[in-house]
Parts: sequence; structure tokens; C-alpha cells
Amino acid sequence: MTSGMLIREARLRASLTQTELSERSGRDRAQIARWESDSVQPSFETLRDLVRACGFDLALALVPYDVDEGGEKRLRENLFRSPENRLQAMLKERKR
Amino acid sequence: MARASEPDFDPIGIFKALDRARVSYIVIGGLARVLQGTDELTDGVDIVPAMREENLRRLDLALDELNAQRRDGKKTRALTGVNVLELGTDLGELKIVPEPAGTRGFDDLRRAASREYLGSGVRVAVASVGDLARMTAALGREQDEPALRMLHSVAEIERSIGHGLEL
Repeated sequence: MTSGMLIREARLRASLTQTELSERSGRDRAQIARWESDSVQPSFETLRDLVRACGFDLALALVPYDVDEGGEKRLRENLFRSPENRLQAMLKERKR
Repeated sequence: MARASEPDFDPIGIFKALDRARVSYIVIGGLARVLQGTDELTDGVDIVPAMREENLRRLDLALDELNAQRRDGKKTRALTGVNVLELGTDLGELKIVPEPAGTRGFDDLRRAASREYLGSGVRVAVASVGDLARMTAALGREQDEPALRMLHSVAEIERSIGHGLEL
């Protein structure tokens, strides 16, 4: 999950517009838009402040992380395909 | 008339029928995830239609063309008060979801959706990775956890290799 997805999900779950979140958090609306689109990354503290402004909090914990190298490789390959090719590959796989 | 057997899944054919009737819709669900890059199989098309009266009339025309019939055997295809309308068509399964979990429907999803070319002259609006994750998470189903993890990975990989890949 990206920080942008987290901010957007928190904002939408709180039924806030970007403007309303800007007013609540004291952050610039355009900057919130950049954070949500992941074109710029907020600091951890900023991320936490934004989520809290939506009425939520971040519950963080360290958990084991198993890298699924095969799965990650397939996803990377998929992302360099066009949606048309992704669809055709899936339909071909279904017929196997 | 009921179908003797399951038809071959032809999502392009379903989209063509929707486009011929000029229906406004956004693709969601498993097929949208595949189009956004996840590695999974799916055998149906899920859409969120615009709920304007004229669009619903057009949708009904497309469903006629597809010979769409409810899976539960009921005749009505009205969307009022319906969470999901599950239909069998001549070209495979079609689910119509007026307001997917965690969203406010078509207008909510339209903002971040992208239009993707799928070949054969078909271009469809596909829900964004973030919105697909939001919907999948809101369902809260254990069976969707692998798909949700893949969506998160797709978002992370996209961010790491840069946005706006020209495909």
C-alpha cells in the first residue's frame, strides 16, 4: 500500500473533500492532491497527521515479510504489458 | 430461454454491446484488477453504471442484446435497492453494481478511472488501483486478501518505476 492510497482511503472513509481535509489539517489542498497521487511522498509524521485529521490513526506493527519473488516478477512483467495484452494473457490462461 | 451450457467468456463482446448502446460505465472487480496488472483469473465482467435515467435505459437495451438473464431466475432487471445484479449473458457473466462497497458509485469512481484500449476498437473506463483496493478492502472478505495484496504491490511497483507508464 502506498501513502497516497492510505490518505485517500482515510479521507473518503471520512467523507471529506480534499478542500475539507486541507482545512482540518492546515495543509495546502494542492499538496494533499500530490500526496494522494503519490507524486510526492509525505513524511511519516505528516501522513499520521493527515490520517488523524480524518478521524483515524495508524496502527503500526512489525511483522515478518516474505518476499514472493516469483509473484513480484510476474506483476512487474504485467505492468510493462498494455491492458489489451494483460486481458489476452488472462483469457489464454483461462483456457489452459 | 435458459442456456444449455455456460457460454465462452467474451469480455470484448460484452463491452462492444455496452458501447453500441452508448452506456456510461466503469469496469471494476476482478477484470479491472487484471487490466491494472494483477496476476489472477476471472470469468466475468463487473461494471458500475451511471445511474442517470437515460443511461439505465441504454443499459437495458444492451442487456437485451446480450440476452441477459438474472442468475436467481427473477425477471426484473431494475437496479433500485439492489446491491449487485448478477446476470448470465450470451457472452459470459455480467455483474452490475450500482454502488460498490466503500464508494459512492459512478461519479466517485470516475474521477480516478483511466480509459484503456483493449483491442478491437474497444476502449473502457477502468477503476484506479487505489479505488479497486478501497472496494476490495471494504468487502472485508478473506478470499479477497491475495487480490488486495497484489493491488498494493502493483501500486508500490508503479510508484517505484514511475507514474504514467506509456503503454
